[in-house]
Amino acid sequence: MTPARNPSEDRLLAYAAGTLSPPEAVVVAAHLALRPANQAWVKQLQAVGGEFLEMTPPSPLSDEALPRAMARIETDAGEARPSAPLNDMAELPAPLRRYALGPWRWIGPGIRVRDVHAPRDGDCRVILLRIDPGRETPRHTHGGVELTCVLSGAYATETERFDRGDLEEADGDVLHQPRVVSDEPCLCVVALDGQIQLDGWLGRVMQPFVRL
Amino acid sequence: MHVEASSFAPTELRAGRMSATEDAHVHDRLIEAVALSRDREAFAALFEHFAPRLKAWLMKSGASASAAEDFAQDAMLTVWRKADLFDARKARAATWIFTIARNRRLDMLRRDARALPTPEIHLAGDDVSRPDDILMQSDDSQRVREALGRLKPDQIEVLRLAFFMDNPHSEIARRLDLPLGTVKSRIRNAMRKLRAILESSEEASR
Repeated sequence: MTPARNPSEDRLLAYAAGTLSPPEAVVVAAHLALRPANQAWVKQLQAVGGEFLEMTPPSPLSDEALPRAMARIETDAGEARPSAPLNDMAELPAPLRRYALGPWRWIGPGIRVRDVHAPRDGDCRVILLRIDPGRETPRHTHGGVELTCVLSGAYATETERFDRGDLEEADGDVLHQPRVVSDEPCLCVVALDGQIQLDGWLGRVMQPFVRL
Repeated sequence: MHVEASSFAPTELRAGRMSATEDAHVHDRLIEAVALSRDREAFAALFEHFAPRLKAWLMKSGASASAAEDFAQDAMLTVWRKADLFDARKARAATWIFTIARNRRLDMLRRDARALPTPEIHLAGDDVSRPDDILMQSDDSQRVREALGRLKPDQIEVLRLAFFMDNPHSEIARRLDLPLGTVKSRIRNAMRKLRAILESSEEASR
């Protein structure tokens, strides 16, 4: 169990409990699809949740609760919402296949970005980022938390390397300049909160053009 | 809104374990009866056991009594709809119903109105599991119960609160009157210990 390149334990717990913000949950779901050991751990956490549910002292229901439930199942027509169609990127892990995707947008030399139409949470949303081999993203800091899962290829920051399935948690304090170190482009799914603040001369030149 | 610290004591956990073991099988059979023959009595029995617990869970996370009851209603309707996906070999009744409620809860946290799928956890049905996954998962509940019994009471308390609260860290800190950093490290340590116990019990069973 490596603490880095995996979600922190409390983020996994929030995911298992259903309290993680939806955009972050999308990125964690992608990570789990690529990391069976963590997937198995989350399923065990579901069993912990089941145990806690069983141990919870019940809270009395109103008198009409049971009749209402029985009436509902008699008139129930099933799930109204059909599942969304698969998107055009067969290489994505299963949890990402049902989200519609926006068009690819150029945001800098060798860097393209595509919106994932997953649930937002305030300013926090999900994007796909594709960066060509050898390219660096502009040095940047973040307004909020950024959660990144590598879907293919690999990138390295000043201190660490991230391969397929690895997850990186960065917050506003991290100064970030990932560089793609794989021979193929690096594709990532990112939950991004707040605006990226670009730093340095390139950042200042690019800032007006970049709407991340 | 209150959670008594005493309810997290290990003795209570042990007492809970006995009844939970018996109940788990009863509830498994009830869900199967709903799946096989749309058995209304079985559904009513499940409702009377789980709906008050689901309501209590949501109230602890800060929901009003009526919102919590609506949540329990909706979760139980999903149990009715999805009963045929239940597989007792993969997850016991309480785990399965917890997961249904978890998926609904994540749905509720969405603040935009577009009809988009939220990332669901699937315990059975459309899962593509390897054969060893199924074996490994078959007695998760038993193993998890034993592992919880080996945690310290304050570790169980903090985990249990973390499962139920919407904003666990700050709410737990306030409730237990502890600094935020202490709460975070206590959760992290409890999670690590639980995972280590579960991993070693998996090793032992191979």
